[in-house]
Amino acid sequence: MLNTLNNGIVMTNPYPVDKVEIVQAPLPDKVVLPLQQRIGGEAIPCVAVGDKVLTGQVIAQTQDAFCVSIHASISGMVVAIDEQIIPHKSGLKSKCITIQSDGKDVWIERKNYGDFLHCSRETLIEHIQQSGIIGLGGAGFPTHSKLSKSLDCHTLVINATECEPGIMCDDALMQHYPREVVRGVEILLHISGAKQAIIAIEDDKPEAYQSLLMFNHNDKISLVQIPTKYTSGAEKLLIKTLFDVEIPSGGFATDKGFVCQNVATSKAIFDAVIENKPLISRIVTVTGDGVVPNNFAVRLGTSFAHIVALSKPDNKQHNIRMGGMMMGVDVATLDVPICKISNCIFVNHTRAKPHVQECIRCGQCNQVCPIGLLPQQLYWHAKSEQSKRAMDYNLRDCIECRCCDVVCPSHIPLVAYFSFAKALYHKQTREKHKTDVARERFEFREYRLERNKQERAEMMAKKKIELKKKMANDKVQKDKIAQAIARVKKTKQDKV
Amino acid sequence: MTAIFNSTSQMMRQVIYALALGIIAIFTFFGWGVIVQIVLAVVVAIATESLFLKIRKRPIVPAISDGSAVLTAILLAVSIPSIAPWWVVVVGVSFAIIFGKQLYGGLGNNPFNPAMLGYAFLLISYPLQMTTWAGEFVNFSQAFEVIFNLSPADALSGATQLDEVKTQLALGKMMSEMSAHSTAQAWVNMGFLLGGLYLLIRQVIFWQIPSAFLLGIVVTAFFLSLSNSEHYLPVQNHLMLGGTMLGAFFIATDPVSASTTPKGRLIYGFLIGMLIVIIRTFGNYPDSVAFAVLLMNITVPLIDYYTQPRIFGKSG
Repeated sequence: MLNTLNNGIVMTNPYPVDKVEIVQAPLPDKVVLPLQQRIGGEAIPCVAVGDKVLTGQVIAQTQDAFCVSIHASISGMVVAIDEQIIPHKSGLKSKCITIQSDGKDVWIERKNYGDFLHCSRETLIEHIQQSGIIGLGGAGFPTHSKLSKSLDCHTLVINATECEPGIMCDDALMQHYPREVVRGVEILLHISGAKQAIIAIEDDKPEAYQSLLMFNHNDKISLVQIPTKYTSGAEKLLIKTLFDVEIPSGGFATDKGFVCQNVATSKAIFDAVIENKPLISRIVTVTGDGVVPNNFAVRLGTSFAHIVALSKPDNKQHNIRMGGMMMGVDVATLDVPICKISNCIFVNHTRAKPHVQECIRCGQCNQVCPIGLLPQQLYWHAKSEQSKRAMDYNLRDCIECRCCDVVCPSHIPLVAYFSFAKALYHKQTREKHKTDVARERFEFREYRLERNKQERAEMMAKKKIELKKKMANDKVQKDKIAQAIARVKKTKQDKV
Repeated sequence: MTAIFNSTSQMMRQVIYALALGIIAIFTFFGWGVIVQIVLAVVVAIATESLFLKIRKRPIVPAISDGSAVLTAILLAVSIPSIAPWWVVVVGVSFAIIFGKQLYGGLGNNPFNPAMLGYAFLLISYPLQMTTWAGEFVNFSQAFEVIFNLSPADALSGATQLDEVKTQLALGKMMSEMSAHSTAQAWVNMGFLLGGLYLLIRQVIFWQIPSAFLLGIVVTAFFLSLSNSEHYLPVQNHLMLGGTMLGAFFIATDPVSASTTPKGRLIYGFLIGMLIVIIRTFGNYPDSVAFAVLLMNITVPLIDYYTQPRIFGKSG
């Protein structure tokens, strides 16, 4: 029944553990909560420096349809609202709210919804937005936004593949909170109105599969094990694997009646709807050859250093990466906060980068590209900054999974070139648009000036004619007067 | 399962290892000449490449150690007659490295297969030396003396089978009146075929080019001999004579100058096979792998553009 992914790469967890555990990380002394989210504008703080906040209290909000509320993840006092380094590849600073913990973790009074089945879909979607829930798989797409488009969907896909090697936070979540996950899926079913839900798990996580199986008594929900292969968890590829349906390039899963949610998001929805807890913590995997791999339940905004210190790091020089070893981003320092999308922290020994050689167009990259692109051709055009040409080779459809990077015998950082070419293309299109507008404006101005000139010339010509006519008329008049004078003179002379 | 190579150099080394069987076959039948040629070619290739990298102010060691110059040298050395004078290989290899590769910007930027460019240059410039093959096993001292012009080559030489067939046909003989078979060449081709299969298994090369290449030869040769079997070489001789297997697995599969899309590789390989038979049959030169490959190299950008694979989520 299943269609194994044609391409992609089979990768095993490089840092396996005997038993997948979740360690409750102790409360941090302070948390740093960024106001900027993955999509949409920056949230506006509704607290000021010096304010006392309770755990779960809304501290920033926006009117932006894409954004969700931001909550205090500990109780204490707001000590700063300023620019801080956030875990992003640019290493840029962004506006954050810093809360100093009072060590008590006092919760704000929570509103109870009772039985969710009696709530309307709109109420629940709004509640999810208010609870600050975004996709916890890594991309961070706002959940409410996806759900509000899911009205006509027939199938709910719960992405529990966790295909990035090394990450095990979803595995841990499913093993330790199977009841909550299944209940969350039921809520999602209720909201989306989908007829069935499929929970897809990679077959290298049999314990997670078993524990969900044990707690799943809903015949609308089924569990499927899919072969372990990297990029199987990419939304469109997962749908292809499960149902042999291809979501068109540029389209969304909802176009074909599928709505996809991450398994951790489902648990967060359970917490929000049943327990009335907003999203203030998540499970984070800390792994790599510089630490003892483990999972931690940790409050959002806790610094990386706080939980890395719990994972017994060795004394060597480390390279820190947030997210998967494939699609994650390197961060410069451990002094960045854990965000909603921080599913994993890699702490690896710093290694020399492999020597980059020339592309010999061997085509190994094309063999693994899950989209079927020709990275060797894209690279050729991206390198020479012919972004338009690269777009002709479907650069737009690259999901930046980095399979090509991994197999490239020349160690070319292909995806880095591709994201650069994409950015360049957008910049050029924007600039072209700008110059087009400017040129049009200029051409119109030229046309207008020319037209005015012509109109004036015509008017002048007309006036001239009229004037001439008038002058001619005048001449007739003058002649008449002259004649009259002459006549008078004549008669006078005659009289004399 | 995808093969993951540590480096481009590792791929090049695989290709060089795979050439071993064919080289052993040449050695077995034609003697020490090929070894002398290979050593000479490799030395010249490294020297020329180093010199040009120095002129171009590029790092020398990484470029030399990628193995591409050595591979070009070996391919050219096994293509030319093993008793050709020393300056033939020197001129050919330096031409291949300079005009085939470095002038375009080095590895990865050359539109033509450097080894074949060198070969074509030699064949056009020195047709006599390029078609005088060893007729028997040549021992080391003989090979050394002939290659370095210390003794005349005539005593050792003979024409190749393809050349022979051509001459005979020109004299008005029928296919049935002569033997177009050459055990030595068949063994050499077998050697390269086995080496090629090794490369396929190791996924250094992909199946498309060699299969389409051989299919192109089979189809074209089949129809030619169907039209007049007395006048044209039969299919099996086309496969087992000349540089067929070397061309199919080692020359046409040079990734830099070949088509790079899966469908494009099929077209590219097939047309090379077809051209080989056509040029062998109707052209002036006995063998034609070099010309066929160079001609098809020109078409690669066009083929690649029009054979882009269907990508996920797009029709057609």
